[in-house]
Amino acid sequence: MMAMDDQKLLAELERETLVCGRCGNCRSACPVYRAVGWESASPRGKISLAKEIFTKGRRNFLTGDYVRRVAQCTLCGACARDCATGIDTRSLWLELRRRLSRSGQEPKAYDSIRDNLLARKNVSTFDNEDRLEWAQDLDEEPEHLDRQEGADVCYFVGCVSAFFPQAAQIPLAVSQLLMKAGVDFTTLGGEEWCCGFPLLSTGFVDDAREFARHNVAMVKELGIHTLIASCASCYHVWKHDYQEDLAGYDLEILHTSEYLARLIREGRLKPQPLEEVVTYHDPCDLGRNGGVFEAPREIIGSIPGVSFVELEHNRAESLCCGGGGNLQSVDPELSAEIARFRVEEIAATGATVVVSACQQCEQILGAAVRKAGRPIRVLDVSELLLESVE
Amino acid sequence: MEKSEALLQIKKMSAERATDTPFECALYTRDLAPVPALLVDPLFRTMPDLVVRPAETGEVSAILKLASAGGIPVTPRAGASTVYFNTVPARGGIVLDLNLLRGVVELDEEKLTVTVGAATTWGELEHYLNARGLAPQSVPSSAPSASIGGWFAMMGYGIGSLKYGSLLSQVQVAEVVLPDGEIRDLTPDSDPSLDWFAASEGTLGIVTRLKIAIRRHHPMRHFLLHSPDLGEIAGVLAAVKDAGVKPYNLHFTDEACAQAMHRQGIAPDGVSGGCLLAIDYEGTPEELTAAGQTVDNLVAGSRTVSFLSPEAALEEWNERYKSLKLKRSGPSELGGESWLPVRSLTSYLTDIQQLARNLRLDLCTYGHVVSPERAIVMTMFFADETKVFDYIIGLSLVKKIHDVAYRHGGYPYGVGLWNTPYLSRIFTGSRLAELRDRKKRLDPAGVLNPGKLYKWPLMLNPLFFTIGMECLVRVGSLRRGGGR
Repeated sequence: MMAMDDQKLLAELERETLVCGRCGNCRSACPVYRAVGWESASPRGKISLAKEIFTKGRRNFLTGDYVRRVAQCTLCGACARDCATGIDTRSLWLELRRRLSRSGQEPKAYDSIRDNLLARKNVSTFDNEDRLEWAQDLDEEPEHLDRQEGADVCYFVGCVSAFFPQAAQIPLAVSQLLMKAGVDFTTLGGEEWCCGFPLLSTGFVDDAREFARHNVAMVKELGIHTLIASCASCYHVWKHDYQEDLAGYDLEILHTSEYLARLIREGRLKPQPLEEVVTYHDPCDLGRNGGVFEAPREIIGSIPGVSFVELEHNRAESLCCGGGGNLQSVDPELSAEIARFRVEEIAATGATVVVSACQQCEQILGAAVRKAGRPIRVLDVSELLLESVE
Repeated sequence: MEKSEALLQIKKMSAERATDTPFECALYTRDLAPVPALLVDPLFRTMPDLVVRPAETGEVSAILKLASAGGIPVTPRAGASTVYFNTVPARGGIVLDLNLLRGVVELDEEKLTVTVGAATTWGELEHYLNARGLAPQSVPSSAPSASIGGWFAMMGYGIGSLKYGSLLSQVQVAEVVLPDGEIRDLTPDSDPSLDWFAASEGTLGIVTRLKIAIRRHHPMRHFLLHSPDLGEIAGVLAAVKDAGVKPYNLHFTDEACAQAMHRQGIAPDGVSGGCLLAIDYEGTPEELTAAGQTVDNLVAGSRTVSFLSPEAALEEWNERYKSLKLKRSGPSELGGESWLPVRSLTSYLTDIQQLARNLRLDLCTYGHVVSPERAIVMTMFFADETKVFDYIIGLSLVKKIHDVAYRHGGYPYGVGLWNTPYLSRIFTGSRLAELRDRKKRLDPAGVLNPGKLYKWPLMLNPLFFTIGMECLVRVGSLRRGGGR
């Protein structure tokens, strides 16, 4: 973790494996265990084996099977929420992955992710200079979209939204909403590097640190003091893991849902009626791990005519979509199976639209909804809001 | 049938839901208790030959038929949230991981019953029912991980039992697979009777489905009391327990435990000592008002008992499933959980503190009052499992805790493997004979969960056990520098 003292975590992992009481609260909460079913896939099982390997020095337990299980985790944080002994399991999983990567025992897919990121500075196969390609679909491109010094707001777009066509609707919606509200905003353009989360979550912490330093330097260079991110993971990393690099610098970090809700409150965006039954899927990194629950609901609630229905598991209890922790890269079938659980719950609400606030959630849920043949639209909260203000 | 042939057939039948890989099987050789391998390995074969996750009752039946034919031990397991190796094999064989038998099968909101797969956790059921304005009548303090069938197979007392009784009193029908594979729906009037299987720890049959009584989800009111005087807080506890409005939950924490919570920074309202008493009511607004008056009057009539803040009371309730939170101060915990007469609570706690002084050890006690007569009381101390010798000596002190409980009419709560040396304390001779007769009738070949409940293994026979533990206690005393 970038904001954490490395040595402290190294020592803490050994102790935390001993603190684990193996009660199994984590197992009940874990989407991976639910899908896989074997004890070795449960958080307590993984911690038990980590205790044997790292605390008791029984290296023979460090097998390919164990590496596979460590990679089978969405980092959704449900286990940390329910841990009876208060273990920060999310940090523990990251530390385990770091140890695997440092000893060269990481899954091959992790190496591919790292190599690509180091080469391109983004998670796609496109050149990083093409980061603003999505903006070509705007009817009118904002004047200062690319690295405008002193802009009121910097929009950190995120790799998936910038490079994957199916997610490009999110930056398009955010940009149009900011323009409608008359916000002076910019982006880091081709100098926006991946936030570093894919590196953090594959254990390449030192590399992630380099990405953080670069992004922070760019923001400082432009004199930006408000940064918004529509990707829940980007938001989480900026908010929690960049703090060491941001020390002493005045930067307000908001998720786009928080900022858009503010614009509505200020009367700069005026939602018009929409006749939809809407439910909301809390992204793990925004909700449970980031503490932002109300802003997206405030936006949905501000749209006249919308009938809002909560999912059975919502807010901190929300179920993961299956797309976190690079799981999709190492085990796409497992990721899809976890998404299937969530789609069943979404369908049970009778909603015509499921809204989220994370490009990865939108992508994963969109695919799962299509696979299940459900007549449900999957939208980012900014897309729903745009529909109501157009 | 040869054992190997039976195992092969089961493995083939359950296909991807069966495994014999050491990587997977190793994780089924343990439960919550980290007992050192040098104590376990010479005595028991905890490594299963096969772990199977049956998907439905028929598969459980087919597995038991083959296991019986092959003479293969079968150990049922779901949440594995106990500490006495109840769900850990003692003689290898098959572990039946029942976790696929989960979910709500049928809800009858009119008759207030729910039928569930046995491996459904109490946490899942509570979440499901609460969303519909309903609730389980009682739940274990390990609700997020404990299964409904598992709690039935134990004694089934916990949060809510004071008001609604044991789980046995709430179960109307249980689908059980007997050791020969026969599938039966058992009721209080069937033969064998449903009550044979409560607290039978998976030794008579495998419960696969239960129909249980539930309740309306009423509003709650929470109180958290504090007093430096054990006698006074015990007096309030007794009065509240016997008052007209029954508490839903009655949980106490002794001074040593409160101090440990303070040291860890998790004491309610920052209290640094004294005893705590959490009282939680559920019911109609009128009942809650009456309950409040009862507690108000008791506090007003006491010298030293005071209310902690409503926020602290609510937080205490919200943390009810995290009784392991103190383990962070360990990193390990050792202790004894006893089924203790409520009337003996004060004298038990006084003697426990004397024992603590003798041992020069902090002994922390907390527990739930689960019936008008009984409380489940945990007395624990911190340890470090990485210091194996000291840890083994610590295990011997657990017997000292049980000895204190025994002097006050208490005995271990649950048997499994590790409490078999206390069988003569837990059961009368005639009761134990009755239980053994049941086992002989239903499982003559001893296929189901062998080594548990009915008889101590040779090395755990009470004489060897007592001598061994006493020797360790004395060694520990010498190491500590002469405390008794």
